[in-house]
Amino acid sequence: MQQILSMQAAEGMVLGMDVLTSDGRILCGKGTSLTATIIERIRKMDISYITVEGHPVQVEGEKSLEQELRDIEKRFSRVKHVPPLMYIKKKIKQRKVAGRKTS
Amino acid sequence: MEDTRQSQFRKALREVKSLPTLPGIIVKLTRMAEDPDTTTEQMGKVISKDHILAAKLLKLVNSAFYGFPQKISSLNSAIILLGFNVIKSLIISSSIFELMESQDVELWEHSLGCAVVCSVLAKRLGVSDPEEVSTAGLIHDIGKVAIKMELKQEFETLKQMVHDRQISMIEAEKELLGIDHAEVGGWLAKSWNLPAKLVEPIACHHNPLEAKDEKLCASIIHFSDILIRGLGYGHGDDVWVPPLSKTAWQLLNLTQHDLDEIMDAVEEKLWDVKGFSLEIQSELENSMTS
Repeated sequence: MQQILSMQAAEGMVLGMDVLTSDGRILCGKGTSLTATIIERIRKMDISYITVEGHPVQVEGEKSLEQELRDIEKRFSRVKHVPPLMYIKKKIKQRKVAGRKTS
Repeated sequence: MEDTRQSQFRKALREVKSLPTLPGIIVKLTRMAEDPDTTTEQMGKVISKDHILAAKLLKLVNSAFYGFPQKISSLNSAIILLGFNVIKSLIISSSIFELMESQDVELWEHSLGCAVVCSVLAKRLGVSDPEEVSTAGLIHDIGKVAIKMELKQEFETLKQMVHDRQISMIEAEKELLGIDHAEVGGWLAKSWNLPAKLVEPIACHHNPLEAKDEKLCASIIHFSDILIRGLGYGHGDDVWVPPLSKTAWQLLNLTQHDLDEIMDAVEEKLWDVKGFSLEIQSELENSMTS
């Protein structure tokens, strides 16, 4: 999943999380495929960011998945002897990988 | 020689002249919150005298960060719904929030993330006042802000030490200043007359064993700091996950299944926090290009 600004939304992207209005009602449910009409409605409601499936928007200077995984290793490199922290590291890596998959 | 220099640093940090003092209204509200005869109206009246504070408070109450289910539009209903103690925590947060945001965006994101983990953990562990724990999480690194503002030159040296020698900020602080940001933060919180429930966890977040009355809260903040660093919300070149205190870990008593669910909940709440900074960044970029 990726979080993007609503002005970056494009037709065909699939919502990864519900889009809520400012008073908490669901405007558009998770799994909805975006159309021009829906995008316009989201922008008109002044909703500034949405969450979509996969990783459709390339951000300049964004790290590759490999780099992200190396960073995680580095962060945990001084607590290798602590089992619960190693479990957390494993889970964070799994999440990172799953988050980048384009579904 | 070294000792006299370090005692000068201590003295400067004890006095913290450059940091703004917390508004007197907080002292007043703290007193009111402790008085059983205080009514909602009285409290609302005191808060509404400070328009900026009232606006900030409502903004914070309604932000994704606290995530209350319905929109809260008046001060009185905020006080009734949330209770005096929560309001007090919110006022402290909103004042310090601003100070941190303007000083150091990265540290602000780390603190905000830490507060998110704290609130998830506190609710899961059934702590009686989860908002207070989140507040402590939000301001746990306030000592870093004090060092940065009070000892500008030394702060640059500290950053250089972290960068060159690949050590953590707290190691650099101990070596150069003979004191660390947790202890400084504890002094600061005390001098602001913040409740003991906040002072101890701030002062002991790297070593929760030292906490006397607030061991659980200190342990929650200790672990939240670790988890949020693990998720990549560090501070500058100091990216490392700090050592985990055995005592804190035993006290929290979390299973792998707990950890899975905690990470799910944290990730969901962090999306909102990230969206928040995404928004601020794009506003900044727009204002620069236009």
